[in-house]
Amino acid sequence: MSDRDDFREEIEFHVDMRAELNRAGGVSEDQARESARRQFGNATLIQEDMRRMHVNTFLESLLQDLRYATRGFARQPLFTLTAVFAAALGIGSTSAVFSVVDRILFRSLPYAHDDRLGSLGMIAPLDTNEFLFADAYFDWRKHQTPFTSVTSFTAGVADCDLTQTNPLRLGCAQVEGNFLSTFGVSPVLGRDFTAQEDVPNGPRVALMNYGLWQSRFARDPNIPGKTVLIDGQPVTIVGVLPPNFEMPTLAHADLLFPEALDEARERAGRALRVFARLKPDVTLAQAQAAMQPLFEASLQYVPPQFRKEVHLRMRSLRDRQVQDARTASWVLLGAVGAVLLIACANIANLLLARATSRRKELAVRAALGAGRGRLIRQTLTETLLLGTMGGVAGCALAWALLRMFVSLAPEGIPRLDQAALDPRVLLFTLAGSIASGLLFGIAPAIQNPQAESLTGSRTAGTRRMLLREWLCAGQIAISLVLLVLAGMLLRSLWKIQSVPMGLETEHVITAEFVLSRLGYSEDARQHQFLNELEARLAKIPGVGSFAISDSLPPSGGTRGRLLASMQVEGQPPFDKGTGGLIMWRYVTPGYFSALGIPIVRGRAFTENDRAPGASSMMLSQTFAQRLFPNGDAVGKRIKTVEWATIVGVAADVRNLGPLQPAEPEYYILRRHVPDEISHIQEPPTGWRQAKVAIRTSVNANVMAGWIKREFAALDPALPVTIGSMQRRVGRLVDRPRFNALLLTLFAGMGVLLAAVGLYGVMAFLVAQRTAEIGVRMALGATPAAITKLVLSRAAGWTLAGVLAGLAGSIFATRALQSMLFGVEARDPSTYLVVLPVLLLIALTAAWIPTLRAARVDPMNALRHE
Amino acid sequence: MVELQGTLVLLILKTLAHGPNHGFGIALHIQAASDGLLRVEEGSLYPALHRLERDKLVSAEWKVTDNKRRARYYKLTPAGRKWLAKAEDNWDSMAKGVGRVLRFA
Repeated sequence: MSDRDDFREEIEFHVDMRAELNRAGGVSEDQARESARRQFGNATLIQEDMRRMHVNTFLESLLQDLRYATRGFARQPLFTLTAVFAAALGIGSTSAVFSVVDRILFRSLPYAHDDRLGSLGMIAPLDTNEFLFADAYFDWRKHQTPFTSVTSFTAGVADCDLTQTNPLRLGCAQVEGNFLSTFGVSPVLGRDFTAQEDVPNGPRVALMNYGLWQSRFARDPNIPGKTVLIDGQPVTIVGVLPPNFEMPTLAHADLLFPEALDEARERAGRALRVFARLKPDVTLAQAQAAMQPLFEASLQYVPPQFRKEVHLRMRSLRDRQVQDARTASWVLLGAVGAVLLIACANIANLLLARATSRRKELAVRAALGAGRGRLIRQTLTETLLLGTMGGVAGCALAWALLRMFVSLAPEGIPRLDQAALDPRVLLFTLAGSIASGLLFGIAPAIQNPQAESLTGSRTAGTRRMLLREWLCAGQIAISLVLLVLAGMLLRSLWKIQSVPMGLETEHVITAEFVLSRLGYSEDARQHQFLNELEARLAKIPGVGSFAISDSLPPSGGTRGRLLASMQVEGQPPFDKGTGGLIMWRYVTPGYFSALGIPIVRGRAFTENDRAPGASSMMLSQTFAQRLFPNGDAVGKRIKTVEWATIVGVAADVRNLGPLQPAEPEYYILRRHVPDEISHIQEPPTGWRQAKVAIRTSVNANVMAGWIKREFAALDPALPVTIGSMQRRVGRLVDRPRFNALLLTLFAGMGVLLAAVGLYGVMAFLVAQRTAEIGVRMALGATPAAITKLVLSRAAGWTLAGVLAGLAGSIFATRALQSMLFGVEARDPSTYLVVLPVLLLIALTAAWIPTLRAARVDPMNALRHE
Repeated sequence: MVELQGTLVLLILKTLAHGPNHGFGIALHIQAASDGLLRVEEGSLYPALHRLERDKLVSAEWKVTDNKRRARYYKLTPAGRKWLAKAEDNWDSMAKGVGRVLRFA
């Protein structure tokens, strides 16, 4: 910049003239120049000021501040690295968690005015979600007042097959004609269903999911009006759904068919999921109150025994989707927020330490005329730059963490597959960086440079030291809360995992399949397939025992029967309500040995029990005790559909997971031919849906290959999912494990940051007190006494932090209670483990710098002053 | 800032009202004209000159002095002249006011 030369020349001219004047006064050449220079003052600084007069647009001075800041950071790489690391840890983990919970808690759902949408229906013990039988739905739809629109779809997305070249298994849902319009969704191509299409025996039409259109039909723009074969039937595609379309239950559906409810004939009751759009100004609570009379009226459709157990439920669509993920989401968000807070406190501490060592520099600049505002701005620029660097590094960390979450996450976290570092999350990260930059920058920035800093006295920093100690105590407090929460979740996980499930999961391979509707609509055909499968599986080498069942634990049977509808020989009919739904399974004789379920009384099923005319059943222990509290169940007879003799009692299996007590269940033997029961139990899939469990000592991958080959020989087009029993059971604790893992990770980060912070403050304290320590040692203090002196101070704030942390934990654990199993929020044993760990870490971090204090050489220390 | 910096600006502009001058000349003039009572700090003078230049109250150009040296000469602009006239009025009334207050008692 030529300006710079101009400034220099202008100043040189001035100095030369002054020197000439001095010479004229009779001073020697050298002296004249020297005094002229002295009189001029700091030429560089003045030059800088002159330049600033010309460049004072905001952007340019910002660039200048940034230049100073980067130069300063480059000079102190260790400081910069620590601060950026802390900021990245805080911002990165917060962003990663935010990207997940944002989808759950905050982000709007892909429907127009999604906050006006709700789910309503009856809630009964059968199902954790509200549903409505079609007959009640007709009344509600006709007489409701709080909604602008009510719509429904038939509960459950059924398997269906695209039966063209390259058959494909799809998910098909049946929706009411006004389904899309109620949700405010329009097809991207083609049109919505018309009223003429949503009628009984209407035309076979469907709306196609965007993903299917893209992957299978190569985005064919002419697809509306084309015909595809579904389960062998021609279906006309009328439109394509938008890419972000999702079913309100988050179930995956490739095709939507008209529900075609038949008001005249549907009275028998299809179970529907019902959704509604609230009128403007109507709240959920008001809507629920308005629906209450309709609900009570429709209790007439509910079997009398059930009525007491059924309630009306109306909730927002978000609550319907999020289910129980809400608490965990808030806990995780709170935990990363705490980590971010610790990181901020940490960086504030580092900056304060740096500010202390820069006190002289700042005081000199202030004395030379730098305005207070200018200095504050400079400091804030530095911290914002630090925050931004942390933000960038944090983004990288967030990306890695998010990938880790997705790979470790259990099923059932709503919308986890959509979580990504998209602009919204990046915006959040940016805001987080700036906010944390301001948060940790504010303390050092408002420190007013004081004139006494110039004297080199060390008293000026005392107040600041106190602030730093408080920041340390705060970090310890927050870390303790995090540790306690993580500890509780870990103990809870431990308890969950040590609950016996009632079966032996090792060395059991599972295979699941659903026979296509087209080829296996007949009972006889299904049984033929299963018989052949049984014969083939029995011949595979290395198969110890195996079972074919309609369902496998853990998870209740897919079939249930009200206790009240059963008859026990020699006992009066059950008349106290429904007695609840008793789940049952169809099994083959090898079921109990394949799954390692012990037989507690009697015997397991044998092949002989399958002979024509024989009729036997088995009960679970809980069920046997419930029916025969005082006697042996074996040999007794029970009528479900037909009379059967109890041949044995099997130990309980925790089908609903370790968190729930074992539910009663019973077992019916699958025979080789269709029987009376299978006729009655036809829908929805009958024997088309089956599961195989195989106990084997052969390597799982090898066995999986053999099993697949047998299936392929029977039906080459049948998709088979191979899994392991261990995985099935393990999945039940995935959610608690995931939560515990994340919280432990964040607690670890928090403790690490707090330890680094504590170490930094102690190191600084020791450096600052070197002279004092030197004097003490010169006066006869032993190294041990010095260690004690320094450490006692650290112990003071650690204790203050621990006390605050304990108080915080009591509040925080209360929020956690619903996520705990077998652990009381007030349980002291978690604290007994966590406290010593934290104290040990804190005191170690504090102790390392004291080593240096104890080694201070008095002579050096005193000379240093 | 109006007070102290305003005063320096007033002194500079008034000096330049007598004709273009370089920084050293301005400093010398203020010192001489005030009988040595006022001494301008170089650290304030040069930034002030450049600010006046930026605000277009003075203009500057490099010229060769009598003893053959290049120096930066500052000259009042019409805007500077107007500003000076107004500031002189203000100064007079302020000086009178301050004088009265000081003499009171």
